[in-house]
Amino acid sequence: MNIRKKMAAGIASLLLVTLMAGCNSSNDGGGATDSGAQKSVTISYTIWDKNQQPAMEAIADAFTEQHPNIKVKVDAIPWGEYWTKMSAAAPAGMLPDVFWMHGGQFMKYAEGQFLEPITDKVQANEIDLNNYASNLVSIYTIDGQNYGIPKDFDTIGLAYNKELFDQANIPYPDDTWDYAKLAEVAKQLSQPDKGIYGFGAKLDTQAGYWNDMLANGGFILNDDMTKSGYDELASIEALKARYQMILDKASPTHQQMTDTDSVEMFKSGKLAMIFDGSWDNGNLASSEIIKGKYDWAPLPKGKVKRGNIINGIGNVMSTKGKHKDEAWQFLKFLGSKEAAEITAEMGAAIPAFNNTQDAWVKNNPDLNLQVFIDQAADATPYPSGSKSYPVWFSKEAEIMSQAWGGAISIEEGAKKVAEMMNQAIEDAK
Amino acid sequence: MSRVVSSKHRSNLIIHLVLIAGAAVMVLPFLWMILTSLKTTTEATQIPITILPAEPSLRGYVDALRQSAFLHYYANTLMAAFMKTLFPVVFSAMAAFAFARIRFPGRGLCFFLIISVMMIPNPVFYTPQYLMMSKLGLVNTTTALWITSLVSPFATFLLRQFFLGISKELEEAAVLDGCNPFQIFRYIMLPLVKSALVAVVIIQLLWSWNELQWPLIINSSPEKLTLSAGLATLVSMFGTDYPVLMAGAFMAVIPMLILFFIFQRRFIEGVAFSASKG
Amino acid sequence: MHSKSRYIWAYMMIAPTLIGTLVFWSWPAVYSIYLSFLKSENFGLVNHWVGWANYERLFMDEEFWQNLRNTILYVVLFVPTTIILSTFFAVLLNAKIKGQAVYRVIYFLPQVTMAAAAAMVWVIIFAQDYGLLNSVLGTHIAWISDKRFAMYALVMVGVWGAIGFNMLLILAGLQGIPRTLYEAAEIDGAVGFRKFRSITLPLLTPTLFFTSIVLVIGATQIFDSIYLIIGKTNVALPAVRSLVYAYYQNSFIYYDQNYGAAIVNILLVINLVLTGIQFMLQKKWVIYD
Repeated sequence: MNIRKKMAAGIASLLLVTLMAGCNSSNDGGGATDSGAQKSVTISYTIWDKNQQPAMEAIADAFTEQHPNIKVKVDAIPWGEYWTKMSAAAPAGMLPDVFWMHGGQFMKYAEGQFLEPITDKVQANEIDLNNYASNLVSIYTIDGQNYGIPKDFDTIGLAYNKELFDQANIPYPDDTWDYAKLAEVAKQLSQPDKGIYGFGAKLDTQAGYWNDMLANGGFILNDDMTKSGYDELASIEALKARYQMILDKASPTHQQMTDTDSVEMFKSGKLAMIFDGSWDNGNLASSEIIKGKYDWAPLPKGKVKRGNIINGIGNVMSTKGKHKDEAWQFLKFLGSKEAAEITAEMGAAIPAFNNTQDAWVKNNPDLNLQVFIDQAADATPYPSGSKSYPVWFSKEAEIMSQAWGGAISIEEGAKKVAEMMNQAIEDAK
Repeated sequence: MSRVVSSKHRSNLIIHLVLIAGAAVMVLPFLWMILTSLKTTTEATQIPITILPAEPSLRGYVDALRQSAFLHYYANTLMAAFMKTLFPVVFSAMAAFAFARIRFPGRGLCFFLIISVMMIPNPVFYTPQYLMMSKLGLVNTTTALWITSLVSPFATFLLRQFFLGISKELEEAAVLDGCNPFQIFRYIMLPLVKSALVAVVIIQLLWSWNELQWPLIINSSPEKLTLSAGLATLVSMFGTDYPVLMAGAFMAVIPMLILFFIFQRRFIEGVAFSASKG
Repeated sequence: MHSKSRYIWAYMMIAPTLIGTLVFWSWPAVYSIYLSFLKSENFGLVNHWVGWANYERLFMDEEFWQNLRNTILYVVLFVPTTIILSTFFAVLLNAKIKGQAVYRVIYFLPQVTMAAAAAMVWVIIFAQDYGLLNSVLGTHIAWISDKRFAMYALVMVGVWGAIGFNMLLILAGLQGIPRTLYEAAEIDGAVGFRKFRSITLPLLTPTLFFTSIVLVIGATQIFDSIYLIIGKTNVALPAVRSLVYAYYQNSFIYYDQNYGAAIVNILLVINLVLTGIQFMLQKKWVIYD
């Protein structure tokens, strides 16, 4: 009994102490404190990738050097909870001062008037949108109103395992390759009994078959985002070609790639080739197994062109922020050349500001990262510019997984997707 | 004589074997968690899967602790757990007694209202509660971590079941002595349920400790997060550092395990629904 | 003592819990019910009344019926299995053997294992090519990506997570049964299973009642394992998708809070009915001391 009482007392006092600590820490941040002549203000900047946090904080520090009265607090919320949180914060008027925006979510927040338009500032020449590729700017523009400043962009590349190629005496992929060659080499490099496959023909859109469809002359959404391109013959043909690799045992099956992520397979040296995004280079490089043994090549050519998807995160600000002038200053800085250079040098992402990409490429001199930059110009923008995007994108994965898993034919799957997409676009009007 | 003894030994042995088999299944993911925390990032996800780390290292633990807000996570978790355990236990015990022993008008309706909350999935409450927090100015505070959870329908239900099982004679004697219900509750019933309260405390602690979604939604700054939520932020879209994540998860769990080990006997004793002690 | 003053005491004692519940939980629940009769825009800032439209759409939605079937199947498979296994292990642990404390802690471990960590392990256990389960059984089943088996995989995971806690509850119930009753029965010549059936089981009923109510309510809300282990691109998803998963997709991914709210309300009604039935039946089989 006595021991128990002492323990209880000990725990109680420990808790009291932490309670004090807890109470104290809830009185900081978010406010304006008087520090002599100028009011010191703290604004919030929310992102979803913790890996980029160091770079974002470096940018924040550089900004505060130039604006000593404005401090920036960088918070990283994991992607899984990011939009749940934003969708709860938006109607409550509690969005962060500045935060990352994704093309697919953009319309909902812009049309709901949760994002502060920056058009007048653009027209007053406070910021020059010509510094960024036009297809990136357009992602964050509606009806002529600008809401966001492009932060970075990403494209897709072909990652390949040099060792597997060397062992089979096959020359590495280069820019002469087309899809037929890809399939052929994938088959040659496959040794299913050893668990090694030539290509990861996975169920993926941006880093997967969207590129195939574009290369073959098909499309995902038409230019004004009113009609799906999945049921185009060219699209279906491209999808079938990718699936064929599974049937030819040049790629693991969908079930196998469900059990084990194909990127992990590549990182373990079990796949000779895989499409992957520029954002994932850090992940691939972290593998001790393939470090120094892989490189990047451009995507293969299709019948019509070289397909690629370009996408970019944008920085936006909230309409209901308490320090909008300061937030704008920071937003402007985020779009500056200096911020872009910090992003590139720290290898966080490929900055959107024109002609700053070299530093990102030079970050890894033994890898051919230039392919990502080179393919940007001809890349198709990520098809996210419609209100129905959250619905059709999610449902597309479900329908295509049935096809990829062999439950329905590829053609049937593609047609179902097209029907679903068109319906979703209708419903969102 | 010897035959009886050896058959008891045999049946005990069989019992042990079955329990051990079950225990192996129970412990597997936990073991995996620990093993992963000692591996390198590559080892954690490579194929074919590695079971043991080639060179066990504590790097995962070091990096987890280096997370600048780790101590904050711990402090916040402790405080939130304390609030979400103390108050619900007290409030639930009082309410459970009233529901079990006093036939008051509206008893059924009130009880039903309280336990019907359990029938709705948690995410349903997030947006309305976020709105309430913002109106109260409590977004991104440590207070927001616990203020909605000062009540526990589950504990109320559990304790009510327990109170129902206590014999009426004691209570009737106290009533004759002129005690009011609260006195009966405080001086007679509560002592009888000490162990049940321990059970509820452990359950509430566990839930509070593990809660991850609500803290992430209502708070943004790392210093305002709890352990589970803070660890969740380590999950990046690409290339999660699993050893760090698992090391953090393991360190988060240790206090709960120790606590449970100390109190597990009381926990069992506590949740007995039929009063053998009269 | 006046009944009225007893009533006042009662109200005061339930007040904190009741008020806390009404303010923070009942109001959002009502709001959610209300949401299901609206069409919202801008995250709920703009709302139009649409009456039963969402429910009509729900009842005509083939996917809804499939989700409902999946959820009920899960409840039917999960609850009895958990109760039976928990009771089985509780009875074993109740025997006078050494090391009880250690076993109890080990069986409690699933409760404290981080969900994401556990999911990682289960995916490996269920893998078709190199998974532990297939090695032990000598099969080559794709447990989590085959429509015929995914549900069983999920039930296994669910039971694994629930046994520890429920076993301890039932163990407590067992230890509350006086030894004298068993001794009396032994004198009468009862042994083994007969003892269990005529003494243990009846006196265990209050515990089993509580367990079954809580397990059913929990099972109808199955979500985590589907989200972590099955995932969106899994071929088997339609065969296991639960009502709560559908709610999550509709409310948080498609941003159709109204449709999501309708789904949750159906779930609430189902739970009310199931719990109500169990409460009414309790007089038939639950024996309080």
